[in-house]
Amino acid sequence: MTAAQIFAVVIFVGMFVMIVLDKIERHYVTLGSGLLTLVVVFGICMRNGSAIMDTLAFKSFATKDFWYQVTESESKGINWATIIFIAGMMVMVEGMAKAGFFRWLCMKIAYLVKCKTVPIFITFMIMAAVLSMFIDSITVIMFLAAVTIELASLLKFNPVPMILSEIFCANLGGSATMCGDPPNIIVGTSLGFSFFDFLTNTGLCAGICLVVSVLFLYFAFRKELVSNSSAPVDMSKFPKPSEAITSKKDFTISCIIFALAVLLLVTHATTHLTVATIGLFIAVITLIAFGKHAISLLKKVDYKTLIFFIGLFIVVSGLEETGILKLIANFIGDISGGNIKLMIAIILWVSAIASAFVDNIPFAATMVPIIQSLSETSGVPISTLAWSLAIGTDIGGSATPIGASANVVGTSVAQKNGYPIGWGRYCKKIAPATVIVLAISTVYLFVRYL
Amino acid sequence: MSQVIISVGREFGSGGRVIAEALANRFNIPIYDRHLITEIANKTGLTPEEIEKYNEKPKNHLLSRRVNGYSNSIEDNIAEMQFKFLREKAASGESFVVVGRCSETKLRDFKCLVSLFVLGDMSEKVKRVMNVYELTEDKAKAFIDKKDRKRKRYHNYHCEGHWGDSRLYDLSVNSSRLGIDGTVDLLEDYIKARMAER
Repeated sequence: MTAAQIFAVVIFVGMFVMIVLDKIERHYVTLGSGLLTLVVVFGICMRNGSAIMDTLAFKSFATKDFWYQVTESESKGINWATIIFIAGMMVMVEGMAKAGFFRWLCMKIAYLVKCKTVPIFITFMIMAAVLSMFIDSITVIMFLAAVTIELASLLKFNPVPMILSEIFCANLGGSATMCGDPPNIIVGTSLGFSFFDFLTNTGLCAGICLVVSVLFLYFAFRKELVSNSSAPVDMSKFPKPSEAITSKKDFTISCIIFALAVLLLVTHATTHLTVATIGLFIAVITLIAFGKHAISLLKKVDYKTLIFFIGLFIVVSGLEETGILKLIANFIGDISGGNIKLMIAIILWVSAIASAFVDNIPFAATMVPIIQSLSETSGVPISTLAWSLAIGTDIGGSATPIGASANVVGTSVAQKNGYPIGWGRYCKKIAPATVIVLAISTVYLFVRYL
Repeated sequence: MSQVIISVGREFGSGGRVIAEALANRFNIPIYDRHLITEIANKTGLTPEEIEKYNEKPKNHLLSRRVNGYSNSIEDNIAEMQFKFLREKAASGESFVVVGRCSETKLRDFKCLVSLFVLGDMSEKVKRVMNVYELTEDKAKAFIDKKDRKRKRYHNYHCEGHWGDSRLYDLSVNSSRLGIDGTVDLLEDYIKARMAER
């Protein structure tokens, strides 16, 4: 191993350990690790200025492909498209939250099913999955869990099974589209896949799994869903959905912008607008529409996550430029002995197991160059490996309370309201559900792509 | 009486809790220690046993994660609930004594806060723990070490300053020098002097 390779690995492992230890905020960890990669790996060890420029990828902003893409292309270094898209969606979601959209939607659905526990359980699971196809699962769960707890106190049922099921379905829904989960955005923008590519591949798989999951979770939790109160539901005591709307004008604008974002994403393979363009456009029209509140929306954007991504992409570039990721790809190729089935199973299950315990975003960012290399050497279509990676990282994260951001937010909201959810409580039903979905996904990948 | 918040950090076995109780009696104000657990239990619907299980306990870093200020760790959430409860009590203008809970840091923005740290000689602490918990000398020493290690980890995770570092408190006092009653007298005078200053 060369000095550059050793330092790249040490920085990467150190970064992961620091993220797990949670002593320093994770965006400082990745940014610090990224700077170390630029200075030590590229600067001192490799003395390669062009590697630094490639990694920083500032030039990509000036290329037509970054904004308008006719042919598929792959990106290297900092994936600015991912960062701009996530930032744009954050602005839009903040606008929607400010207008009361999410709370209104939850209350409206609860009203439509006449505030009955089991129909709420089923519709909230489906809503979690559908919303997470377009909106980050953290926001979806933050609102769903809060409304679930509110309904639980009014209807006298235990909200924990419902929150756990919502978390699971939000992660599942996120796997269905390119913008549903950060690993998918990374896979999509890095390998040049469209929203529609995801929808027709991972989306179909997620749809099948959602049906099975709803059934499984219903049977797993049906005894716990029984209301403690035998009195009939008095709907007049419930907060009206319309009370959730803070401003009718902002609400209407938010709905229109959200619909426009969905339309642009669904059609982006036809319009050739990249996710970076869509993200920027959505952010700009949201800010214009919210006028004097634009500054407050901008202040609410989660810049820490964006910085986290920037640092992460630099560290992963260090592994890529020094050839470490190629070595890992060759290793996977060797142990699978060219057997495509085994290769898919390894990527899917290793991604899933790793994502159950470590942040799936750095994992996916690391794995993308690995599957690229693996595809080149083994001849397996990159799309097959990409879907295996996306499904593995998205679904695997559901298995434990720390596997995905939505799990952390959901369990935290429950705990703050007096419903502690430890590892045992979480994993008892959700880990088996994850294994079932992964097994279905394995069969799906084998049947569809081999 | 103007508002006063007395924060008492303590080494295990130093008699810090007993001193805090005595101060609460002398100033005729409530004390939040075990009572804090009951208050939180009433507010959240959790049982006092559930809260006690995770009370002043450091989280397991490998089994927990934090996202945008949210944490899946029950220990973290119980701690946050306690900090929030204390801040609300302080903001309401109530006077009280609080034992531990990083209160010297979490309430430092309140001008009426008097932060104290009670330590003790190991030999005295061992004697006290042997007596209270009916333990042998070795077991008492190990118990003290274990408890203090836990408190230190809990404190240093939630605060920037180090547990027991005199720079973090208004006054650090060794209860082995004057005994419990003598220490309470000293602290009472100090608190009165501080109150007169304002």
